[in-house]
Amino acid sequence: MDTHVIQTENLTKSYGTRIAVNHLNLTVEAKQIHGFLGPNGAGKTTTIKMLVGLLRPDSGSLKILGMNAAGDKPRIRERIGYMPELPKFPKHLTGEELLDVYGRMYNIPKETRRKRIPELLKMVGLEGRGRDRIGKYSKGMQQRIGIAQALLNDPELVILDEPSIGLDPVGMVEVRDMVKEIVKGGQTVFFSSHLLAEVQQICDHVSIINNGNMLFTGTLDEVASKAGPSRRLVLEVQKASDSILHALKALSFATVNTNDNTYTLHLKTKDDVRAEISRAVSAAGGVILRMQEEGGGLEDAFMSLVGKEAE
Amino acid sequence: MTLAPNPDAVSGFFNTFSGIFIFLIAVATTMNTISGEFETGSITPLLTKPVSKNTVFLGKIVASFLTLIAIYAFLTVYVIVGSVVIEGSQNNLLLAPLGLFGLTLATMVWASMVILLGTLSKSSLVAALGSFGVFIGVTIVGTILSSVYGQTSVLFYAPGGGANGSTGSCETFPRSGTNFATGTDNLGYLLIQLVLNPSAVLNFCGVRFGPGGREGEIFTASSDTVATVALRALAVAIVYLAALLVVSWYAFRRSQIVESA
Repeated sequence: MDTHVIQTENLTKSYGTRIAVNHLNLTVEAKQIHGFLGPNGAGKTTTIKMLVGLLRPDSGSLKILGMNAAGDKPRIRERIGYMPELPKFPKHLTGEELLDVYGRMYNIPKETRRKRIPELLKMVGLEGRGRDRIGKYSKGMQQRIGIAQALLNDPELVILDEPSIGLDPVGMVEVRDMVKEIVKGGQTVFFSSHLLAEVQQICDHVSIINNGNMLFTGTLDEVASKAGPSRRLVLEVQKASDSILHALKALSFATVNTNDNTYTLHLKTKDDVRAEISRAVSAAGGVILRMQEEGGGLEDAFMSLVGKEAE
Repeated sequence: MTLAPNPDAVSGFFNTFSGIFIFLIAVATTMNTISGEFETGSITPLLTKPVSKNTVFLGKIVASFLTLIAIYAFLTVYVIVGSVVIEGSQNNLLLAPLGLFGLTLATMVWASMVILLGTLSKSSLVAALGSFGVFIGVTIVGTILSSVYGQTSVLFYAPGGGANGSTGSCETFPRSGTNFATGTDNLGYLLIQLVLNPSAVLNFCGVRFGPGGREGEIFTASSDTVATVALRALAVAIVYLAALLVVSWYAFRRSQIVESA
């Protein structure tokens, strides 16, 4: 069986003369939590809309669960769950009614719906609000019902477009936990975000896109190693002295900046060099108060990839 | 006690209830049918469920049709009860369902125009105003064409009120006989007449101006039997309905959800 849950080849889509997605090759394997990162307007939503059949690609191929997915493909949609960015549902329905109507579209039997809908409402934190009209839901609650409807059919692939947009910090953490929960059931999650911290916390794979071009795709570790050059160690000592600076400058794997009693070492290596640094400072008669690694994470990788200077 | 007895009040209702009335009912029931889904953004979750676009479209059309039938069934029952109570026992009550069918079909012609404009523009405002423009255009152009130039045959194939037919002669004044509109809008009444007086002859009058444009005379532009007129209107309505719906269906199938609502 094909393990590619999503596979695009040279997927391209333009709006007039503006190329929104440019020869995109994206592969998502089964059981991944795959983050789809990019600045606003990078082409994330356009790509996702092509995946779920809302937009027709101009060229290139698009396979989901091994099937050609371009165009109106109800048989694929049966097996995936999708939450649009800032989803809008018919306001006159209650949360329960909405899930029931959608459940009927998935041909879920009545008894199953009756059992599954309260479970889902509970899972997304809408317990007790299922009989309220969606028109009365807050933005965050609409987001939650959006996640619930994406999980209704127990999909093999869940596609979430900016799931935590419009949520408060507590809601964001809850969404993060929900995503982790989904994957425990063996499902694949593909979600777009411009929040790096969020992606870093829950994803094992990332794809980074900007101006419609794929900049990077791979595991989180790979992307971190790409950002190797910007890995830094911040060192705070009790009392700065020339001998400490000398000792640090003598280290072959780093360059040093000083600021009062803080030294910033720009590491050229990917190894753990904290012990060597500690010995060098001690030998020079210094006392280390704090040693902290900065950068080298997704943020730096992202910034260097999209061509902006990391702070 | 009844007021002035009028045994034809019910069939008269089908003759009066056409034109702007059915147009407005068509707009009210369908201006949001597909465009509303686009406007509110609820089209996005809908189209990503495992239902084909064909099913969604068909569902919208069937729902519009059933809504119209329900509105008119209520209205017909109301008119029948009211007529019997106020104007005494009624003739041809058995034909009321036929009138109801014709009325619904006539309204569906306008409804499909509204749906088409809504699907193309994704805006219910454009659907309502655009179809109103078509309605006004057809009505004004139709009136000019039929009364001034006697080109009634053009109106036989246009949607809307159509040409005015008379069982009396065009040349005598005041005109004898009964007059009624013969366009698709009046399909309810036309189908009733088709059963009651299929072989009656309808005259379509025009105005002809003399040399210099000074003096005009009314003349018979064409004549047809009620059967021909009614069946033609039925066929024209079905053709318009089918054509408008096919174009809307195609537009809906081709539509892409670009904007994030």
